[in-house]
Amino acid sequence: MEQSSLTFRYKELERAWDGEKVYEVFIGPQHPASGHMRFIVRLDGDIIVNVEPDIGYVHRTMEKLAETKEYIKSIPLFERATIIDSNNITLGYVRALEKLLGIEVPPRARYLRTLLSEINRIASHLYGLGLAGIFINHSTMFMWGFGDREIWLQLAEELTGARLTHTYSIPGGVRSDLPQDFKDRALKAIRYMERRLKDYMKIFFNNPVTVARYKDIGILKKEDAKRLGIVGPNLRASGVRYDARLVEDYGAYREIDFEVPVREEGDALSRLLLRIDEIKISMDIIRQVLEKIPDGPILAEKYLRLIPPKLRKTMEETGRVKFPGLFASLRPPPGEATARVEMGHGEVFYHIISDGSPKPYRVRIVTPSFRNLLLLRYLPVGHRFMDFPAIYGSVDYFPPEADR
Amino acid sequence: MNLREKIEEKLKDIATSIEYPRPDLIVIAVNRDRIMEAAQRIVELGFDHLASVEGVDLPKENAIEVIYHAESYEEELRNTIVELKTRVARDDPKLQSLINVWPNALYLERETWDMLGVVFEGHPELKRLLLPPWWDDIPPLRKDYKVKVEGIIVGTK
Amino acid sequence: MMVLEIIEYIIRLILSPPIFAPIIYPGLVTVLVILLSIIWVERKIAAKVQLRYGPLYVSKPIGGALQMLADATRFFFQEIIVPRDADSIAFLIAPAASLVLPLLPIVFVPAAPSFVAISVEYSLPLVLAISALTPIVIIVMAWAANNKFTIIGGIREAFMVIAYELSLFISALAMAIFYGTLNLEDIVSMQKSLPGVILNPLAAITFFVAMVMATSRLPFDIVEGEQEIVAGPFTEYTGILYGLVMGAGYVQLYILCLVFVELFLSGWYPYIGLLGEIYPALGGVSLFIKAYLLMVFIVFLRSVYGRYRLDQAISIGWKSLLPLSLASVFLSLGLLAAGVVI
Repeated sequence: MEQSSLTFRYKELERAWDGEKVYEVFIGPQHPASGHMRFIVRLDGDIIVNVEPDIGYVHRTMEKLAETKEYIKSIPLFERATIIDSNNITLGYVRALEKLLGIEVPPRARYLRTLLSEINRIASHLYGLGLAGIFINHSTMFMWGFGDREIWLQLAEELTGARLTHTYSIPGGVRSDLPQDFKDRALKAIRYMERRLKDYMKIFFNNPVTVARYKDIGILKKEDAKRLGIVGPNLRASGVRYDARLVEDYGAYREIDFEVPVREEGDALSRLLLRIDEIKISMDIIRQVLEKIPDGPILAEKYLRLIPPKLRKTMEETGRVKFPGLFASLRPPPGEATARVEMGHGEVFYHIISDGSPKPYRVRIVTPSFRNLLLLRYLPVGHRFMDFPAIYGSVDYFPPEADR
Repeated sequence: MNLREKIEEKLKDIATSIEYPRPDLIVIAVNRDRIMEAAQRIVELGFDHLASVEGVDLPKENAIEVIYHAESYEEELRNTIVELKTRVARDDPKLQSLINVWPNALYLERETWDMLGVVFEGHPELKRLLLPPWWDDIPPLRKDYKVKVEGIIVGTK
Repeated sequence: MMVLEIIEYIIRLILSPPIFAPIIYPGLVTVLVILLSIIWVERKIAAKVQLRYGPLYVSKPIGGALQMLADATRFFFQEIIVPRDADSIAFLIAPAASLVLPLLPIVFVPAAPSFVAISVEYSLPLVLAISALTPIVIIVMAWAANNKFTIIGGIREAFMVIAYELSLFISALAMAIFYGTLNLEDIVSMQKSLPGVILNPLAAITFFVAMVMATSRLPFDIVEGEQEIVAGPFTEYTGILYGLVMGAGYVQLYILCLVFVELFLSGWYPYIGLLGEIYPALGGVSLFIKAYLLMVFIVFLRSVYGRYRLDQAISIGWKSLLPLSLASVFLSLGLLAAGVVI
């Protein structure tokens, strides 16, 4: 550990400013580009000297609510934190719970989780890229991103029955099996998306205005990225090869051959281009999953045995899991477990403490946007006021996720 | 020397206990007044940022447990999470702020103050983060705070 | 007998150029038609590019073309809110002025050979000078609303004016030097065989970019910068007042497009004599068609570009446009020296 990064101090988050000269602008919570939050931006002329993010406008006390619910009921609760990426965010909780319960997930279920995770990741990145477009008033990128996201939502709907709130991963498995000809439709979607990515490059990423607005803006240095605990594409765009898919054993990532893309520049444009890289990798993972997916049950043997034979038969016919009665009161043994899962926005961290009762004693969830909040404070300082939305757009911050 | 040995060597004089509940988790408990020292040593081992700061209310023991989860992006360390925990008194929850050790504790500690009322001494901006500024009830993540359930309203007068 | 004479008199009055030009074509009525249609065209083109339908449900059989009429009606009946801290007189007058001022130059813009409301020798500088007054009104608007976002917007407008105005004038001047006249009508008549854009493309490019900047179209819609300052100087306006300020930008676009066509795209040539026999202004309909197509092209830029940053736009104005416009003056002088005669 170098000494320089150890001396990183809170005060470095802002520049010295003279109260007399500073012009304070309140952006949000009712503002076309603030999201569900407020920024207090202090300007000296056109230069930002300080940004104070004021979050919490969509706080829903999820950690407290989780303490009042049985374990399984928290899955639909947590997915509402990041509704655009709901399988990834619940997967962390399910993983931690499985560690507490000591359950092994059957291979087919692990592949299916990976499949939906990657579909979610692509949709989440398209959402972020669309917003990055509209933050510099590029309406075409906005509409294209949101429009093409629809393809992936439809795929997810086919797989799970819901466009956004999938509640797909459950302790010990997944809720439903692969529908027929899903593979063809997924491959068709991938082919379409590959074509579209080329169009994105043409109209947005190689557009001189976009390059002028995003290149060399909001540079996050590698050392700072590590020290500030930044996660997700924002971290990898600064040259750090870290991805929770590499460290946590979840889904089928250990059996799939994939690369974690990294870019060195650390500026806003590289953060956006990294998302394009990740979409490509995710599509490759989906291809591999559809190729390699093994046959077998989609729920752990331990729970499968608890389902009455008649129901089990309909389950096999329809491919939809009937919940065993035990799920209503899962009682993990006392102890604690942590889990990390890579969402579209970055790493989500769960810590569950169990006291042996059917409800968790404490659930801690730290979402990627909450960790990336520091960037909104740290990156815009020293830039011009018009760079503020560009930086905000490039960070892919999602207020409901940070507020929980 | 593997990581466990390194940690034991580095922290055995100040830790009250070091446990390994799961393969990817190392739990270090320290006394309240040694927290800064322990944190610095963990950073020196390479765990340079936090994944989480949380508080757990333990009303039976009249304590609040403050838990720091540190992680690293280095390839040899990234598989492990180091959990550093300490206890503060429930009626006078005060702890040294670690934001100069782990800079990204800025919002994590502020949230813990918001939700459990743990005062981090030396933290520059302990003010409401997720709760509304006019909040005057007890901190919501304490166990004696009861969630008020709103009934479903059917029909009108 | 008397009644017929009065009607005849009125018709003659309306058809006389000093009345017809400002009121009907190319004046108010045309402007209204343009306002109602160009916004629809803009939205439809953007929708086409962005794989959506655009305005549709108002008047479905004609592709939602009446959408703007519906919007305008809504604007009319919406409540007008004057903020408590605003300077109410300036706040209320500024939107009207912002629509009238860009419209005013129409009386000097010839629509067909010798068809103009007020015929003056110096119509080109007059048109540009009057349309250069609009930014003042916008700054008044920004100040009157007394809001942080509007004030930032007003300052941006002031910065933008100094960035484009000089280049706009100089590149227009380049054409005036070449043709040796400041009268738009004469300039057009000299382009009968060869449009000015071929002789001096540099001036055309500079004028075009400066025009896009002047009318706050993308990629230079910095004054309205929605993502930072909500709607810039127009943030506090509601109802018809907002309708007026929104329309003002399109009116200015229309006037500048007319000037562009007359300077560079040989104005009303090819002149359609057949229509000209019915009424002189109709013969110059190609001026209108060209100006309209130019407007369509400029509004199409919305679906291609994002927004430049303020300092980038200013540096484009000072570092690229100004030297280019000066070069265009020298190009004109060079053409004259080389003895190029039309």
